[in-house]
Amino acid sequence: MEPQLSWYLALSALLFTIGVVGVIIKRNVIAMFMCIELMLNAVNLTFVAFASFFRDVTGQLFVFIVMTVAAAEAAVGLGIIIAIFRNRESLDVDDASILKL
Amino acid sequence: MLVLLFILFGGLAIGCAVNVVAQRNPLYCAISLIGVFVSLASLYLMLAAPFIAAVQIIVYAGAIMVLVVFVIMLLNVEQEERRPIRIGFLLPAAVVLAAILIGEVAFFLWSINPNPTLSPSDIGLTSSIGTNLFTAYLLPFEITSILLLMAIVGAMTLARRSGVLTPNARVIPGAQVLAGSEIDPTSSHEVPTTLTTGSTTEAARILEISRRTPDRE
Repeated sequence: MEPQLSWYLALSALLFTIGVVGVIIKRNVIAMFMCIELMLNAVNLTFVAFASFFRDVTGQLFVFIVMTVAAAEAAVGLGIIIAIFRNRESLDVDDASILKL
Repeated sequence: MLVLLFILFGGLAIGCAVNVVAQRNPLYCAISLIGVFVSLASLYLMLAAPFIAAVQIIVYAGAIMVLVVFVIMLLNVEQEERRPIRIGFLLPAAVVLAAILIGEVAFFLWSINPNPTLSPSDIGLTSSIGTNLFTAYLLPFEITSILLLMAIVGAMTLARRSGVLTPNARVIPGAQVLAGSEIDPTSSHEVPTTLTTGSTTEAARILEISRRTPDRE
């Protein structure tokens, strides 16, 4: 018996849900950021699974572009995190609930 | 055999993902997240996508996580303190709703018919991806480069220190600082001269910071 497409989809859904839960319950900005990365990876797994099972390369190209977006997001997001820390001396999202400085 | 590998790497991915959420120290979160990335790369290999697996390791587990760990080290993040959950009474409702959702998803996933099978093909190879990336998907590829350029400029703008020091900023003794009048482009100085300071208070005096600086020396 081989791993079915539905197994990969179920695993991806589980990972995505764990990422959503993390974004909701975490209060540290960096931890929330990492949970977002987790969600992006769960979506990538779906793309690759569909691409492989339906023999269409488009899914893998999408994964390539999602990774680029994730890299850009990491650069800008970490810059924002550093700016927040510099202004508030804290990484807690409750301390940064007002966007005004 | 493949089933065993799937269970191994899938279980590893889920365990590490749960650990990412459960850990209170952000550094342990980052290490667990690297575990998730590596196990996902193994799953990509099982799905006959070696290029994506390699990029996953290099870009995600390499570049992005190094950046995250660097920021964690830079900011000297303290452990998240334990605080009471404000939505405690919603927990049973959340469990019931999650059970319903899992049931629905399981029903749909198990009713896919006919189930496609994985057969050997060349779609995951680097040559196939490269050919498609530079022919059919050239426009998204070029747009991606513009996105990266915007990210570089944005990150530099965000991380740049502005000329005015914040009230709680400290000047490193011995660092070269410029007086405000010399940074000012409208002033008559052609070439700004650098001043070397020996202490925080001296630097603050040159920078004309009126606030009292803490006595560190």
